[in-house]
Amino acid sequence: MVAVLLLLLLQPAPSAEEKQLSIYGPRVSYSLPVSEHKGQDYVALLEALEPFGNVSAASEGQKWKLRFNNLEGEFRQNALLTKVAGRKFELPAPFVLESNRGLVPLRSLPTILALMLRTKTEYHEAARRLFLGGAATRFTTDLRETGLSVNFSAPVNPLISTEPGKLRMTFTRDPVVSNAYILRVENPLVSSIAFSENNGRAELVVQERVPLLAKFASGGKTIDIVPAPREEQSTPSSAAPAAAPRTAEAPVAMPAPPTLQSLAAKPPFMVMLDAGHGGDDPGVLLSETLEEKGVTLAFARRLRSELQNHGISSLMTRDADVTVPLEQRAAMADAARVAIFVSLHAALEGRGVRVYTAMINSMTSKPSGFLPWDTAQADYVLTSRALADIVKAELGRREIPNSELCAPLKPLNNVAAAAIAIEVSPSGADVGSVNAAVYQQRIAAALAEAIVVGRSRVEAER
Amino acid sequence: MTRALAITTALLLAAVVAMGVYLHILRRSERERAQNTPDTRPISAPVVGPASHVTLYLAYDDPGVVHAQDATIALPADPAQRGREILHALLGEYVKRPSSHELPAGADVKDVFLVNGNTAVVDTTPAFAEGHRSGILVETLTVASLVKTLTANLPGVTRVKILVDGKERETLAGHADLECFYDVVTLEQLLQQLQ
Repeated sequence: MVAVLLLLLLQPAPSAEEKQLSIYGPRVSYSLPVSEHKGQDYVALLEALEPFGNVSAASEGQKWKLRFNNLEGEFRQNALLTKVAGRKFELPAPFVLESNRGLVPLRSLPTILALMLRTKTEYHEAARRLFLGGAATRFTTDLRETGLSVNFSAPVNPLISTEPGKLRMTFTRDPVVSNAYILRVENPLVSSIAFSENNGRAELVVQERVPLLAKFASGGKTIDIVPAPREEQSTPSSAAPAAAPRTAEAPVAMPAPPTLQSLAAKPPFMVMLDAGHGGDDPGVLLSETLEEKGVTLAFARRLRSELQNHGISSLMTRDADVTVPLEQRAAMADAARVAIFVSLHAALEGRGVRVYTAMINSMTSKPSGFLPWDTAQADYVLTSRALADIVKAELGRREIPNSELCAPLKPLNNVAAAAIAIEVSPSGADVGSVNAAVYQQRIAAALAEAIVVGRSRVEAER
Repeated sequence: MTRALAITTALLLAAVVAMGVYLHILRRSERERAQNTPDTRPISAPVVGPASHVTLYLAYDDPGVVHAQDATIALPADPAQRGREILHALLGEYVKRPSSHELPAGADVKDVFLVNGNTAVVDTTPAFAEGHRSGILVETLTVASLVKTLTANLPGVTRVKILVDGKERETLAGHADLECFYDVVTLEQLLQQLQ
């Protein structure tokens, strides 16, 4: 229960005060922070385009030029008139250049993405949810006296929580859509069902007459809501439903204080993706316009999407251009009790991918108490090396040049889980290839496949 | 005041202002030049001692290896000073151009201290870390080369701690841990991989 509560705290969903925009594409979904300038909502354009391809930007005085694949955009500080993909149009509020980051008014983003991605967009402005290329997951409800089934058109992975009288499903990554409604029903279990959208997410709230719990079925396409067994209400360690949830975001039948039993329970399989650097720390300057922090974030988002396709949940140490101290990254992984920690980096030297594990001696006996912070990895390093071997083999199978090393990389030694680092170098002479969508996608697919293959080994050692 | 006097006074005032601005610009450019020039002053007096054979473990960025290479340098009798001279010779290879593993001008070792006979504390110059290239591989090569060269040439030293300008630093250039002590046994596995 403690692990689940910690995971809930680590979810990308921000607090009520922080505005966010969620973008849903056919293959990738992500959220971006929204900032305010002179009462208008703005979003960073480079970060919005990053998950879709090779994007770079350069500022020349008041001008800010964006290049996305073979298309260009031109913006000018405090100006309304702009040019995107060869087409001139007027922004609803002035363009803002802040520390070389180009910010566009949120209301203009659907138009810009439509021009750049050559796709249709649908923007739910009040909820700040942007749908690209017709991405949408619809649902129907089937209410019976024995329970409620919610059937989705595609697998979903909501955050499910309970509070007295309510069971709440929050969809941040899934493009769940419906008209906002409240349906009041005459049923012994449920009194109403309400759908709403707000701040980059959708919510389905079930008002309950008796305590309920949710179970996934049909590979995540159905959520069955049934009465919670009485004994489960008083046994925190068995609070999770018998039909194992696919993720740690899954059902919490009844909130209960942590017990030793619940702490000892094996936490769900979860991967922590650590996009190296960020914020004040740009990492390696790969070219005049390409910083390591941007490459690692784009790569982390691709890997998250690949893992999601394999039904594996992941958390990210950062999902925006923010500073996260190295030790905090390890602390986040340890608090969430993740199964695997993957630190992502990029470099100029060499070709292909280097896979690293911690440079630490393995522990010969299991520790009985707290793990020392400086050597927390010692108990897991053999599993980490086994996972690195699998990653190396998978990269080799896909003919991606690779090597495996141990390295004194911060903060691998502080992670109490299988931990590896990936350093992506250009595929050829062109440095820009390190940020190419196709190249990153090949590597992300290999990594995700390796994690699927290595999952049983990692699970056995936990 | 006559018109001629007024014009002369105005011209003189304009000249004073212009000279003041020029002086300010000169001082600023001189200050910037001084800041951007690496400090190449010697950090210690030249040592005198018999020429000795040592083994330097040189890093090569391409293809990312560390190879042993014999060298002959003058070494003093004091072990700590010997350590400093050996590392000075090693880093000298890296500040040359071209180099197999380039380090910035001014990257050097200020001092080596021996603690309890088995631990060496290496104090490096600010340029060693400030100008170091960022990357897991390049930083790992630097650390491996430095630690192995020191421990291989100073019998009994099994642990090495790296400081920058007398202070502890979190990482070398964003990746390699500089808060830990490097021990010979742990490093050996990495060196085997870097052969």
